[in-house]
Amino acid sequence: MSVVTRRHEELHETIEDELPDAILDFDEHHNAPAVVANPSRVDDVVRILKQNGYNHLSSVSAVEYDNRYESVYHLRRITDDREDFDEINVVAPADPDEPAVETVSDVFKGANWHEREAYDLMGIRYDNHPDMRRILLPETWKGHPLRDEYDVDQPQYTTLEAHANPIEERYEVENDAALDTMFLNIGPHHPATHGVLHLKTVLDGEVVVDVDPDIGYLHRCEEYLCERLDYKYQIMPYPDRWDYVSAGMLNEMAYARCIEDLAEIDVPEYAQVIRVLAQELSRIAAHMLAVGTFALDIYGELNVIFMYAFKDREIVQEMLEDLSGQRLMFNYLRLGGVAYDLPEPRDEWFGKIRGFLDDLPGKMDEYRSLLEGNELLRKRAEGTGILEPETAKEYGCTGPVLRGSGVGYDVREVDPYGYYDELDWDVVTYDGCDNLSRVLVRLGEVEESARLVEQCVDILESWDGDREIQSRVPRSITPPAETENYTAVEGAKGELGIHIVSDGTEKPHRFKIRSPCFSNLAVFSELAEGEYLADMIATLGSLDLVFGEVDR
Amino acid sequence: MVTFNDAVADLLGVDGFSPLVEFIVGIVGASIVVSVMLTIIGISAVWLKRKWNARLGDRIAVNRIGPAGLMVMPADALKLFSKEVVVPEDVDRIGYKLAPMLAAATVLAAFAFIPFGSGLQIADPETGLIFALAFASLSAVPVVMAGYSSKNKYSFLGFEREVAQAIAYEIPLVVSALAVVPLVAVFADTSAPLRMSNVVTAQQGPLLGVTGLPIPNWFIFAQPVAAVLFFVSILAEFSRNPFDLPEAGSELVAGYLTEYGGVNFVLLFLAEFAAIYFGGALFTALFLGGGSGPVLPAVVWFLGKTFVFYLVVQWFRATIPRVRIDQLLEFGWKYLLELTFLNLLLTAGILWVVL
Amino acid sequence: MMGVLRSLGVTAKHALKGDTFTVEYPDESPGISPRFRGTHKFSLSRCIWCRMCEEVCPNGTIDIKTNEKREGEEYNLNLGQCIYCRLCEEVCPVDAIILTQHFELNAGTKAELEYNMDDLMDVPWYKGMDPLEAREPDRGAWIGTDEEDDVWETAESTYAD
Ligand code: SF4
Ligand code: SF4
Repeated sequence: MSVVTRRHEELHETIEDELPDAILDFDEHHNAPAVVANPSRVDDVVRILKQNGYNHLSSVSAVEYDNRYESVYHLRRITDDREDFDEINVVAPADPDEPAVETVSDVFKGANWHEREAYDLMGIRYDNHPDMRRILLPETWKGHPLRDEYDVDQPQYTTLEAHANPIEERYEVENDAALDTMFLNIGPHHPATHGVLHLKTVLDGEVVVDVDPDIGYLHRCEEYLCERLDYKYQIMPYPDRWDYVSAGMLNEMAYARCIEDLAEIDVPEYAQVIRVLAQELSRIAAHMLAVGTFALDIYGELNVIFMYAFKDREIVQEMLEDLSGQRLMFNYLRLGGVAYDLPEPRDEWFGKIRGFLDDLPGKMDEYRSLLEGNELLRKRAEGTGILEPETAKEYGCTGPVLRGSGVGYDVREVDPYGYYDELDWDVVTYDGCDNLSRVLVRLGEVEESARLVEQCVDILESWDGDREIQSRVPRSITPPAETENYTAVEGAKGELGIHIVSDGTEKPHRFKIRSPCFSNLAVFSELAEGEYLADMIATLGSLDLVFGEVDR
Repeated sequence: MVTFNDAVADLLGVDGFSPLVEFIVGIVGASIVVSVMLTIIGISAVWLKRKWNARLGDRIAVNRIGPAGLMVMPADALKLFSKEVVVPEDVDRIGYKLAPMLAAATVLAAFAFIPFGSGLQIADPETGLIFALAFASLSAVPVVMAGYSSKNKYSFLGFEREVAQAIAYEIPLVVSALAVVPLVAVFADTSAPLRMSNVVTAQQGPLLGVTGLPIPNWFIFAQPVAAVLFFVSILAEFSRNPFDLPEAGSELVAGYLTEYGGVNFVLLFLAEFAAIYFGGALFTALFLGGGSGPVLPAVVWFLGKTFVFYLVVQWFRATIPRVRIDQLLEFGWKYLLELTFLNLLLTAGILWVVL
Repeated sequence: MMGVLRSLGVTAKHALKGDTFTVEYPDESPGISPRFRGTHKFSLSRCIWCRMCEEVCPNGTIDIKTNEKREGEEYNLNLGQCIYCRLCEEVCPVDAIILTQHFELNAGTKAELEYNMDDLMDVPWYKGMDPLEAREPDRGAWIGTDEEDDVWETAESTYAD
C-alpha cells in the first residue's frame, strides 16, 4: 500500500471521527478520492484537510446536475518532498432550487475569488462569504451563464441608473480623515495594466491604502465555449486563447493531459519529446515577455530591456511557427500526440535552435546586468511587493510568483507528466519574496527551459526508432457519464488546471479552467496595500498577468 | 565676448544704436536664436530621439518619409497642428490654456542668456548665470498650472510630484553651478564671474598644470564632481529619466500632460524638449567650454555639445529605471544637497589656500 | 554605481553594433514558414461534399448546403470568424480545402469576408495558383516526410461514417 493510499485511509477515519455529521459520503474521482460533504459544514471538512497537510486550494468549481448543484474543491498538498504530493477533492452538493454552500474563504483566503466566480457563472450562493458579488460579469447582469436554463440570447438591458457610481458607498467620506485620501481608477485602459484590468485604488498621498482589482473585461466564457465543442478536435484550438502571449503550447498541454488521463490515451515517446520541446520553447517566449513588460513598468516607455526581450522572443516565436504553423495560436498538440512531425529539413531547424541556445548565455548575462546588477533597479524592486510564503499558499498562488517566495512547487516536478521525468532540470526558487525575486525566477527558468530544450534536441537528433507522432485514438472520445477529473500542468504562470465532468457524450458536461493568473491576482491587494503607487505598478508587472487567462 | 547687438554694431562700424534700432536688432537676434533652437528641437524631438532610441534598442525607426525618415518632422508637425483642440469640460480654462504658452515661453526666453558663441547671445547681463538658473526653475510653474487646471487625478499627481521634485533639486542645481564661479573669477580674471560670456571665456585656455597636452580648461576637468552633481540636478530639474516622475508613463499615464492634445500638447512637448536643450546648453557653457573647439565656428561646437548632451540623456532614459518619489526626495535632500555644498566649500577652500 | 555603469555599457554596446531585427514589411516579406496557416484555398472539383470540414470547424466558419441527393449546392466560408486552426484541412479526406501561406487579408465590412463558392473561385490569393493543382498538393512541404499516410488515415477514421 503506497504512502498516499494509506494516508487516505487514515484521513477517512479522522474525518469520520471528528466530523461524523459533516460527511455524507466518500466518492472516487478520476484524479483523487473525493469527500462528499454536507454543504453547510464544508468549511469544517476543508479545515480538517488543511490541518492534515492539504495546504493548497487549487480551485473551486461549480457543476450543475439534473437534481443538484455541486461545488467541488480541489485540494493539494505542497511540500518539499515530492513523494508526499497528493490530492483530494471535496464535493458539496447543493439544493437545485436555491443552491447554497457554506463558504470556505475563511479557511483558504484564495477561495474568496473562486467562490465569487462560481456564484457569478453558476449561481451558487456561498453563505457567510465576506464579499458575495459578481466577479467576471457586470454587477447588473441577469442570470448565471453556465446554468443549463440560461438563455444566451436574452438581452441584457441596463439602465444608466443601475450603473450610477457603483463604488459610491464603498468609499463614501465617513470622517475628516477620509478627506485625506484620493480615489483613483487605474484602468481598464492604462499603460501598466497589460490588458484590461481595473484597479479601484485609494491613495493617501502616494501610498496605496486600498486596492480592489475589478476583472472581467476580457471575459469570453471560454468554459462555456469548450462545453459545446467535442473533445477530440474542436477544443484544442481554444486553450491557445487563454494565456495568449506565447504560452499556447503549455495551455494545450493542460487540456491534453486532462483528457488523455480521463480517456486513457497513450502518447508515443517520440511525440512526448516533441511536446516537451514545444512547451519549453513556449515557456521561454512567455517568460521573455514577462521580463520585458516588467522592465517596461519600472522604466517607462522607450526602455531597451523590453526591446531586447522582444527580440529574443521573436527568435523563439519563429521556431514555433516553423513547428506548428502559427506564431501564437499554435493548435499543435493533439490527443495522443502532436499534429505534425518536426519541420523539414530537420537539421536546419535543429541548427536554429542550437544557435539560439548558444547565444542564450550571453543574452542572459545582459539581462542580468541590466536587471539584477543595476543598483537603481534593485532599489526599486528589492523589498517591494513582499509576498510571504504563507500568504502565497493561502491564496493559491503558483508558478514563478510562488517560487519567488521560496516555495518550490512546480507541477512538472511534484506531479510529473509527459517526458519531464526523464530529463534533467531543476526547479528555480528565490526566497526574496519581492518583485525582484519573481523576475529572477523567470530569468532562471528561461535557463532551465533552455536546458530542457537542449536535451530534447539531443534526443530527437539521435532518434532512430519509429517516428510515431500520434497514437491510435478512438474515433470519438466519450468518457463514461459523471466521471470527473482534475489535472494540472505547469503553465507559464503557474498551475494551470482543467476540471472536466463528462456526461457520456463526446462533449464535456463541465469544463472548468483553473487559471494561475486568477489566483495570482487575487493576492494582489495584499501585496500592494501600503506600497507606493509606483511600486504597486511594479508589483502588478512582477505578477505577470495575462488577462485572457484571468478572465477567460 | 559680446552680445548679438554689439556684434551687429561692430559689423556695421557704428558705435551704438538708438534705443529703437537696438530693440529691432534685439528682436532679430532673438528670432534667430529661437528659430535655431526650434529647428534643433524639431530634429531631435521628432527624429533624433526615435532614431537614437531605436539604435539602442536594435531597431530601425522612422525611415519611410524622405531620406532617412527626416521628412517625418513636417509630417508630424502637420499632424499635430491639424488636430482638433479638445478642451475637457471641467478644466480651469485660463490655467489650462495659459500653461502651454507659458511653458514654451519661459524655456525659450531662457536661451537669451546662453552664449552660443560667434556673437550669438541676446543678453549678457552681469548676473547672467543667475538669470538662466531662475528661468530654469520657472519651468515648474507651467507644469503646476497644467496639472492643477486639468482637473484630472493623474495630472494632479503629476504636478504634485513636480513641485516636490523642483523644490528638492533647485538648491543643488544652483549650488553646483556656483562651484564654477570662483574658477571663473580666477581664470577670466574678472570681477563679474556670473556673466555668462565670462564663464565661457574662462574655459578657453589650456588646463593649468598640463599645459603641454591639449586638454582644454573645461570645468568638467577642473570641477568633475560639480559637473556630475550639476548633471544629476539638471536631469531632476527637467524631469528626465531616471527622474521623470511627473510624467511617469507607466504609472500616471502621462502625468500633467494627460488632458492635453493638439496644439496645446505640442507646446508642452516642445517646452519639454527645449528644456533638455537648455539644460544641455547650460552644461555646455558651464562645464564643456561653451563654443571652444578647433577649426569649426564656435556656434557649431556649442550646438554639437548640446546634441551630445541630449543623446546622453536619451541613453540614460533607455537604460536606467525610474526612481520612486521617496527615493528621489531622499536622494535630493539627504545626499545631493550636502554634496553640492561640500563641493562649493571645498572649491573655495582650495582656491583660498592656493591663491 | 558600478552596476548602473555596466548597464549603460550593455546598451552602448548594442547601439554601437547597430544590429536591427525590424522586418521592413511590406518592402521585405516577413519570413513565412512553409506550414503557416493563412487563408483558405478551396477546390470545387475535388470536394466530395462529405461535410466533415463543416462538422469539425469549431465556430461555424464553414457553411455547406446540399440538395436532397447530397450534392453540393453552396460552400460558404465566413473568413471573418475563422480562427485558422487548420482542422478543416486536417479532416478533409480529399484535400479540397487547404490553408495557404497567404495572410494579407482586409475588408471594409464584415460582410466582405463572407465568401461563397463563386467568390472563392477568384479571391485574390488564388492568383497565380491553379486550384486544380490541389490534386497533387505538396503535402510533404508542410507535413514532413512519410507522414502522409498517417494523416490521411487519422482523418478518414475520424469522421468517416
Ligand atoms: S481553419 Fe478552423 S476555423 Fe477556419 S474554417 Fe478551418 S476549421 Fe474552421
Ligand atoms: S471535408 Fe473536404 S471534401 Fe468534405 S465537404 Fe469539406 S472540403 Fe469538401
